[in-house]
Amino acid sequence: MESIIGVNQVSKLFKNKMAVNQVSFSIQKGEVVAILGPNGAGKTTTIMMMLGLLEPSDGSVQLFGSHPKKQAVREKIGALLQEVSVIDALKVREVIQLFRSYYPHPLSYEELVAFTGFTKDELQKRANKLSGGQKRRLGFALAMAGNPDVLFFDEPTVGMDVTSRKLFWNTVIDLKERGKTILFTTHYLQEADDIAERVILFHEGKIIGDGTPKSIKARLLKQSVSFTPISAINFEELINLPHVTDVYEKNGRIFLLTDHTDGVLASIFSQKLSVENIEIERGRLEDAFEQLVEKREVI
Amino acid sequence: MNGFLMQCKFEVLRIFRNPYYVFWSLFMPIVFYVVFTRIFNSGMDDQQLWQAHYLMSMAAFSVMGSAIMTLGIRLVEERKQGWSMFMRITPLSDQAYFAAKMVGQTVIHIFSILIIFTSGAMINGISLTLFEWLMCGMWLLFGSLPFLAIGTLVGTMKRVDTASGVSNMIYMVLALCGGMWMPMEIMPNFVQSIGKWLPSYHFGSGAWEIVRGGQPERINFTLLVGYLLLFMVISGYTRRKQEVAV
Repeated sequence: MESIIGVNQVSKLFKNKMAVNQVSFSIQKGEVVAILGPNGAGKTTTIMMMLGLLEPSDGSVQLFGSHPKKQAVREKIGALLQEVSVIDALKVREVIQLFRSYYPHPLSYEELVAFTGFTKDELQKRANKLSGGQKRRLGFALAMAGNPDVLFFDEPTVGMDVTSRKLFWNTVIDLKERGKTILFTTHYLQEADDIAERVILFHEGKIIGDGTPKSIKARLLKQSVSFTPISAINFEELINLPHVTDVYEKNGRIFLLTDHTDGVLASIFSQKLSVENIEIERGRLEDAFEQLVEKREVI
Repeated sequence: MNGFLMQCKFEVLRIFRNPYYVFWSLFMPIVFYVVFTRIFNSGMDDQQLWQAHYLMSMAAFSVMGSAIMTLGIRLVEERKQGWSMFMRITPLSDQAYFAAKMVGQTVIHIFSILIIFTSGAMINGISLTLFEWLMCGMWLLFGSLPFLAIGTLVGTMKRVDTASGVSNMIYMVLALCGGMWMPMEIMPNFVQSIGKWLPSYHFGSGAWEIVRGGQPERINFTLLVGYLLLFMVISGYTRRKQEVAV
C-alpha cells in the first residue's frame, strides 16, 4: 500500500477562528474514507486544503508526494465541491467536451454521459438551465472527466432525493472496485457507516477519531447491561462491580455502562443480584456520534 | 495545448451567446451609426469624412464595451458561482485560463470590427483603402488592451450588480467624454479638458487620424500603454490582496 495523501500537522485560521487545528492523517491507495462531522467541524476546509484551493496557515499537505497545485497532481484528481455552479452559456454536451480536453487521458465522452444518465435532449440543454440534482450529476461527470485516481466529494448527496442518492453510492462502490481512492465528507452517519471502510471523525477542527466504522463505534460507545431490580439495590454496590464505569436509572430500569458486558453479566450472576429482564445494548454509530457531539458541546 | 484551444473556442462561443454583447457591442453601435450619419447629419462640413470618422467612433465604442463589460461582469459571475475556483483543480493553469479569455475577447473584437466596418461600408458606402481599413482594425485591437485591463479590474468586484452598474457607468462616461458619441470639438470646454486625458479619446483618436490619411500620434500610443500598465498593476494588486484575504 502506498500513501497517496499526506496531511501533516495542518491548521487553518480564519480571522482568529481556528477552523482546522493541528490535523494529521494519511490516505492509502484504494481506500474509501469518510470525513464525518457536524456542520462547522472543518471538513470542507480540510478538503479545500487537500485540493490546494486554500493554503494551510500551518503544516503541509501532499498529494502523490507533491504540492496539490502541481499540474501532474491536478491531472490525477477529480472533485465534486459544494457551492460550485456550472459554467453558463454552454450546453451540457459542450461542458463535458471542454473538461475532457483538459486531461491527458480522459474517459470517453460516452462513459461520462453514462455517469450523468442524461437523455439526448438534456445534453443539448444549457448547463445552467439544469435542475439542482441534474447539475450535481453533471458535476460528478466533470469530476470523472480525467479518469482520476483520487476523488474528492464534499457533501456529495446534499439535496439529492433518495433514488439519486442510492444511484450515487452504487457508482461510488463501483469506482472503489476499480481501485479508485475516494474521500468524501458527510454529516449523514449512515453514509459513512455504509460506504466507507475508514472514518475520520472531525469535531471543532480536530480529529477525534480515526478508524473503521466498527472501531470508531467500539471506542466511542459504552455498551450497557440493563435490568429491572426485584428489590431495592444500592447504587454504590453496583458501581463497585468490576468493569462497570457508570450507573444510571431510566424508566425504572437500571443501566450499567461498561466496555465488557460478559464480565458484568458474570458478576451479576455470581453475586446473585436480585434483578430480572436483563438486556445488553450495543450502540449504533449514529448514537455514538450524537453522544460524542453532545458531550463535547457540554464541555 | 488541446485544452487551451478548446477553452478559447468555448470562450468565444460564450460571448456570442451573451445577449449583452449582441445588444451593446453589435446592435447599439450600428443603430447609433445610422442615427448620427443618416438622420441627424446636418451641419457637418465634410459628410464623407464625418461618416468615416463616426464609423471608427462606433467600432471603438463597441470594442471598448465588450472589453470592459462582457469581460468584467463575466469574471465576477464566474467567481461568484465558484467556477473560477473549480477551474483551479483542473490541469488547465490559471494563466492558460486567463489567456484563453483574452484570446476569446480578441476574436470577438475582430468579429465586431468586421461587422461594424461592413455595415458602415454598406450603409454609407465608406471607401477607405485596404491599408486604411487594416490599420484601423489593428489600431482598434491594440487600443482594446487598456480596456481589457479595466475589465479585469471590474472583474475583481464582489457582486454582479455592482460590477454591471459600475462598468456601465465607466463605459458611458468614457464614450461620452472621449468624443465617441459626439465630436470632441462640440463638447463644453470642461469636458474637453477632462476628455483629452481619457483612454477612450486616445483610443478613438488613433483611428480618426487614420481615416484622415494620417497615423496615430505618439501621445495616443503613450497614454494607452500607460493606462494599460496602470490598470494591470491595480488589478493585479487587488487580486493578490483578495487571495491573501482568503
